[in-house]
Amino acid sequence: MFILPGIALQAIGIDSNTIFLIFWVGFFFVTFFYQARLQSYMALNDISRGLNKLKVMKDKSRKEAIDYLVNVGKAPSDPTQRVDQFLDYVTIMPVDIDPAGLVGKIDHVVTTNNDRVRAEVGTLLGQGSPVTISISENLLEVATSLNMIHKIVRHFYLLGKKTNSYITLLQLQMLMPMIIQEADALLNAVDSFKLGQPVGDGIGPVIVSRYMAGKEKRAVAKDTVMAVAEYKGRKLYVLKADGPMAYVGQPGVAIKKIIEEMGVKPSAIVMIDAALKLEGEKTGEIAEGVGAAIGGIGVEKFQIEEAATKAKVPLYAILVKQSLLEAITVMRKEIAEAGDKAFQVLNRVIEEKTKEGDDVVVAGIGNTLGVAQ
Amino acid sequence: MMSSVPGADKKSKLLVYTIEECPACGQKTKRAFTVGDYVTKDGAKCAKCSNQTRVSLVYAEGAKSS
Ligand SMILES: [Zn+2]
Repeated sequence: MFILPGIALQAIGIDSNTIFLIFWVGFFFVTFFYQARLQSYMALNDISRGLNKLKVMKDKSRKEAIDYLVNVGKAPSDPTQRVDQFLDYVTIMPVDIDPAGLVGKIDHVVTTNNDRVRAEVGTLLGQGSPVTISISENLLEVATSLNMIHKIVRHFYLLGKKTNSYITLLQLQMLMPMIIQEADALLNAVDSFKLGQPVGDGIGPVIVSRYMAGKEKRAVAKDTVMAVAEYKGRKLYVLKADGPMAYVGQPGVAIKKIIEEMGVKPSAIVMIDAALKLEGEKTGEIAEGVGAAIGGIGVEKFQIEEAATKAKVPLYAILVKQSLLEAITVMRKEIAEAGDKAFQVLNRVIEEKTKEGDDVVVAGIGNTLGVAQ
Repeated sequence: MMSSVPGADKKSKLLVYTIEECPACGQKTKRAFTVGDYVTKDGAKCAKCSNQTRVSLVYAEGAKSS
C-alpha cells in the first residue's frame, strides 16, 4: 500500500521512512495530549450503549407489569396511567442525624409504603386472588427498581457529559457491567414471578414448611404464619411468611410476639435463609453460623436481635448460598437439593443446641412465592 | 475497542419441574411445572400405594444437563 505513494514521494525527496517517522510522531502527540478526551469519548459511547439497554429493560418490565395486571389480574380499567404514577412514587427515609429510635421510624415508613402498594394494587385490580395481588406487587416493585436504576445512570451520564468530567464518566463506565448484571437479574425475576414459581430466596420457607405441613397454622404478624410442631421431644414454633403468595412477612414482629406476648421461653432461635454467595462459591453450599440470618433494610434484623438479646436466647443461622440472579429467579435444582441437606443441618442444630422438653423458634426467611405451608 | 457493556446473554433454557412426593412410601414423581403449582399443594394419587401425594419441590434445571 505504501509502495506506490512511496515511489511518488521519492520523486520529491521524501522516502517511506520519513513518512513513518511523521506518522509516529503525530501518533505520539495525539495520544499524549488527547488521550483523556479519547478515553472519555469511548466511555460516553460505552455508557450510552448500556443506558439504552437499561431503558429497554425498564420499558419491558413496565410492560410486563401492565400486561399481568390486564391479562391475569383482569384489571377492570386500563392501568397504564396508574402504573406510570406508581413508578415515580418516592419513599422518603427518616432523618438519621439523631439516630435514637431510627429503626422504629424506618419501620413505620416502610410499612406505610408496603400497605400503600397493596392498597394501590387492590384498587387497580378490584377483586383478585391474594396470589395475583402479591405477584402484581412484586412486578411493580421490579419495574420501580429498574426505573430508578435507569434514572440514576442517566443522571450521571448526562452530568459527566455536560461537565466533561473524565473521572465521573470513567467511574460510571467501570460500574456499568455490574449495574447491567443486577438489572438483568431483576428483569429475569419477572418471568418466575409471573408464573408463581418459587424463587431461590424461598429455600428457607421450603425447608421449614416440612415441619408445618398438616399442622394448624395461625397468623402471628402481617403475612406471617406459625405452626407448633414437635421434634425429638422439643416443641418447635415454626414460622414463615404466608405462602403461596409472594410475601416476605414480618418475622421480626412474629419472633418478638412469640417471645414477649405468647410467653414462650425458647432456648434457641434457628433461622434459615438464602445468602448471597461470593463469586467462586458454589450455588447450594450450606453455611452455619450465629446471628440473625435475614437481609433487607435492617428493621426485621434489629427486632429479632433485640428480642433475642432481651430474652438472652442464642441465635443460630443456616444459610444456603446463591447468586442474586438465582435468589430472585426460579429455584435452581442445586438450591432445591441443598434443601435436604439444610433440613438435616437444621435437625442437627436443634439436637445439639437444645435439650428434650425445650422450646425452639424456627424461622424460614425469604419470599414464599409458590411455597405454602 | 473492547466494550465493558456485556452483550445479550446467551440464556441457557431452563425447564421447570414439579416434584410430587408420597408421604406414605416416599415415592417421588417428577413432572413439568404447571401454573398454579406450589410447594405443599396436593398432587396426584401415588402410583405405588395410591396415597395422596404432595408437591415437595419446584425447581428448574438446564435443558441439557439431564
Ligand atoms: Zn405412595
